[in-house]
Amino acid sequence: MSNVIYLDNPSTTKVDEQILQTSINEINEVFYNPSSLYRGGRNAKKIVENAREHILKFFNNRKLLFTSCGTEADNTAIFSYAKRGNVVTTLGEHAAVYKSFELLKQKGIEVRFVKIKEGGFIDEEDFISKIDDKTTFVSVIHVNNETGAINDINKLAKIAKNVNKKLVFHSDGVQAFGKIKVDLASEVDLYSISAHKICGLKGVGALIYNKNLTIQPYIIGGGQENGLRSGTENVLGISVFGKACEKYLRKVEENLEEVKELKKIFLENLDNRFFKVISKENSSPYIISLSAYSQKGAVLQNMLDDEGVLIGTGSACSSKNPHSRVISSFISDKKILDGMIRIGFIYSTTIEDVKTAVEKLNSCGEKLFGKINL
Amino acid sequence: MKKIIIVRYCEIHLKGKNRSYFERLLKENIERNLSAIKHSFSVINARYIIGDFADNDYDLIVSKLGKICGIHSFSPAFIVKSDLNEIEKCCLEFTKDRSGSFKVNTNRADKTFQLTSVEVSRELGGRILDSNPNLFVNVTEPSFVVNVDMRESGDSLVYTDVINGLSGLPSGSSGRGILMLSGGIDSPVAGFMLAKRGMKLDALHFHSYPYTSELAREKVETLAKKVAEYTNGINLYIVKVTHIQEEIHEKCPEELMITLLRRFMMRIAEKIAIKTGAQAIITGESLGQVASQTIESMTSSNSVVSMPVLRPVVAFDKLQIIEIAQKIDTYETSILPYEDCCTVFLPKFPAIKPKMETILKAEARLDVEKLIEEALCSLEVLKF
Repeated sequence: MSNVIYLDNPSTTKVDEQILQTSINEINEVFYNPSSLYRGGRNAKKIVENAREHILKFFNNRKLLFTSCGTEADNTAIFSYAKRGNVVTTLGEHAAVYKSFELLKQKGIEVRFVKIKEGGFIDEEDFISKIDDKTTFVSVIHVNNETGAINDINKLAKIAKNVNKKLVFHSDGVQAFGKIKVDLASEVDLYSISAHKICGLKGVGALIYNKNLTIQPYIIGGGQENGLRSGTENVLGISVFGKACEKYLRKVEENLEEVKELKKIFLENLDNRFFKVISKENSSPYIISLSAYSQKGAVLQNMLDDEGVLIGTGSACSSKNPHSRVISSFISDKKILDGMIRIGFIYSTTIEDVKTAVEKLNSCGEKLFGKINL
Repeated sequence: MKKIIIVRYCEIHLKGKNRSYFERLLKENIERNLSAIKHSFSVINARYIIGDFADNDYDLIVSKLGKICGIHSFSPAFIVKSDLNEIEKCCLEFTKDRSGSFKVNTNRADKTFQLTSVEVSRELGGRILDSNPNLFVNVTEPSFVVNVDMRESGDSLVYTDVINGLSGLPSGSSGRGILMLSGGIDSPVAGFMLAKRGMKLDALHFHSYPYTSELAREKVETLAKKVAEYTNGINLYIVKVTHIQEEIHEKCPEELMITLLRRFMMRIAEKIAIKTGAQAIITGESLGQVASQTIESMTSSNSVVSMPVLRPVVAFDKLQIIEIAQKIDTYETSILPYEDCCTVFLPKFPAIKPKMETILKAEARLDVEKLIEEALCSLEVLKF
């Protein structure tokens, strides 16, 4: 499988081998528990703190809490602050946020879901109408993980705080951080990020938070992370995360331009007879959502897998819940929903990769439509 | 005092002159199933005795015995010298934590023992009563019975509980069949039912990758593994029928897709069966459950093979089938939602009562032999 073209990067990315090796060497020598007080332990602690510093360089005046994943960061934010009054989120959230809000609803908290528009963008008018002086917590995804739609979270946070300045604003930035420029306004209180979406290891995420906030710990124990999240730190994962941020965040705009070019080439070469593009032009170029109308996304995924191209599907192959919750909140045509697939790029994706992949995608489309429909 | 398990078999005693054949088969099956566990095996008075196992293997042995076809029941027991004090110790092991009514039932084959069976029962009953104030004797309707089996060899077996086995006949005693395993609820149950009647099974699964998902196939592998626990292992044959489906889709009326595909599947099953020495095709069809399971559809698929097609759940309601599926632990796997992920080939209105004439006319548009040959080229075998 050496010639595989991997285009399911929104789900996870290949670890940066160079960084990984450097970190492994580091950890081989400094394998100690960061909580230990002898020199080795203090050195391990330094690795963690250096990584924290590297990541915080990209945020103004914030603190950072390491977690085990983006989901844990989202959960920590939500369950720390969404407790009373009404709480607001969108229909375009990742399950980590959406399901947490459903749980809040079961617990008797008033939950308001803001509609999303074509392409997966938040409906700003609906957003404004849902916020009032009783709203205590708002969570809006920064870049939608299925369509790449970018929400202007700074603007939304300002709007929300104009209505109730005491509310807490959170955003899931897992698909944004490291991909598009993230310049948080002070109104955005909490921001979740994840390492394995930017060539880090699985098992590390972080919650970025405003200094005046108090996070409520829900993993209790040895008091690591200033008592906010106990459990011995994932030193290797954190070290890789820090280094990946340093390497890729510096070049975020440069990379963005390159990936925009990839998206352009992809769309130019895509056979529009077979595929309808769902993602909008002003979306993150790292994610392209499209549909093979009336076909099954999973079938295309299988066909491309055999051709050495790995892509994502919007819909799992499940008879119980066959369609994406997010996409079906703004598209009702079942035949479009059936055929949803997702293409995702990363820094290492080349123009050749994209050209080959789109060519194979077209030929699979031709095969599929030729056999089934024509 | 040694802990043992007494295993009783059933129906074999009906088998007249073939009895020793059935006994040997069951013995081999038990030995094969327990081969990874240290134990001893002996035969006493038409019962098997499993002994010399480690205490912590007991539960594993019991769970394995519970899945061997042909075992009527089994009992955890002690074997001791036929000495009242020794036998008493065994009885107390069984009764010390119990309450309610009991009786002692003695069977004295050893006529040299000085007390009669009634006297032994009375004596032991008295001692048990003295040891545990929560017990009382009821000889007509006891809530449990302490059995003492005094054998001619001078030792006694003591047991209380009788755990029901699967019953049926030992695997391999009733020929060999090929089970069409779809991934749904019914086919593992159908396979289990015939395995219970002693049939050795192979399984056959058809897939239409890329139109069906790999997860569906993995699910079938899991099901085959589960059925294999009852059949002394299973060979799972996997055949790709994608091209057949494409051809039917292209050349034949939409509503006949399932009818025609079933006929292909039957033919392929028979071809594999001939190779493996199987004498029957087994399906999980239940009359009227879906469009492909009407009597007309069954007639259509039967007519392409000469081998008997066994449909053990044909007259079962879905709930009855589910009950068995739960008992044999295939239900949870069967309901995983991966089957037929692709509905591209599913007709909106499948033919419920296909006419033979229409079927043959449609089928004539296909090169049946060539398609079957091609499908058989994709044959894979997995052993569980």
